[in-house]
Amino acid sequence: MKDEMIDRVLASEEALLPSSGFTAAVMERIREETAAPQPIPFPWRRVMPGIVLGCGGLGWGAVELTRLAIAAAHDPQTITVPLSASALQPFESLGWSAVALVVAFATWFVSQRIGGESQLL
Amino acid sequence: MPSTTARNAADDLADVERVLSGNAAAFEGIVRRWQGALVNMAWRYCRDRSRAEEMAQEAFVRAWRNLAQWRRESSFSTWLFALAANVFRNELKRFPAVNVPIEDIAEPSRPASQATALEEKSRHDAVRRAVLALPMRYREPVLLFYFHEMDVSAAARTMGLPQGTVKARLSRARELLRRRFPRLSEEYVAMESAASN
Repeated sequence: MKDEMIDRVLASEEALLPSSGFTAAVMERIREETAAPQPIPFPWRRVMPGIVLGCGGLGWGAVELTRLAIAAAHDPQTITVPLSASALQPFESLGWSAVALVVAFATWFVSQRIGGESQLL
Repeated sequence: MPSTTARNAADDLADVERVLSGNAAAFEGIVRRWQGALVNMAWRYCRDRSRAEEMAQEAFVRAWRNLAQWRRESSFSTWLFALAANVFRNELKRFPAVNVPIEDIAEPSRPASQATALEEKSRHDAVRRAVLALPMRYREPVLLFYFHEMDVSAAARTMGLPQGTVKARLSRARELLRRRFPRLSEEYVAMESAASN
């Protein structure tokens, strides 16, 4: 098939007329978009301290792990695994469990307060 | 269609300003001016009338949401067509148009002898279906080139591609079509000689 033939076929496309309700349908959707409430912005100001704290904790953990790894690389005899200690001491693990529970409760309490103020709950 | 672009540029600008200053109803002017073009453009992408209207509607809503992003560096229509092409492309990625592989589209036999309007129509439909069966990278330049009345630069602007790339893809697409419909060239030659006699 020659290019002229392709041009002739594809350029001779009949124009399609939009249906009579097309404009109304689009404007209806626009009105719906306009009437819809603005999306609630993410509460960055409230969340930021938690994020900073979390990042700080992770950073500290990473530094500690790196420090331990470097120490272990220099002297394999001095490898200490802090987590195994807690496993061996049930009372200490009980303490950690209590701390975790307190943190969970505090998180729930703060989320309830934020939710209540923004009238989400 | 695209030739109305220049004629409507001032109206587009005025309507956009009104919409951005809070008059949502002014968007209707934009819809009325460009509905034909966008529905036809969507039709070329999917060849399904109701789906074409749905896709064009989605393009208008997307244009409404992003109206502030039109930088006025290009004409409103250029921006609108580029946005619409993006919407149509993504829609077809999500739900591809039902089409058959290019190899399965039969070329009508003895094309020179088929003279009736109906037969010619079915032959043209076969070519158009073959365009839809091309891979998207070749299909889109073809669709937009003919939608823009064979203006490579307009098609390139709509796709956001260099003109050279569009030309290369058009050439490859034509080659694929030529390979698929070798006998239609005979018809073309017959038509040419009939016209010269």
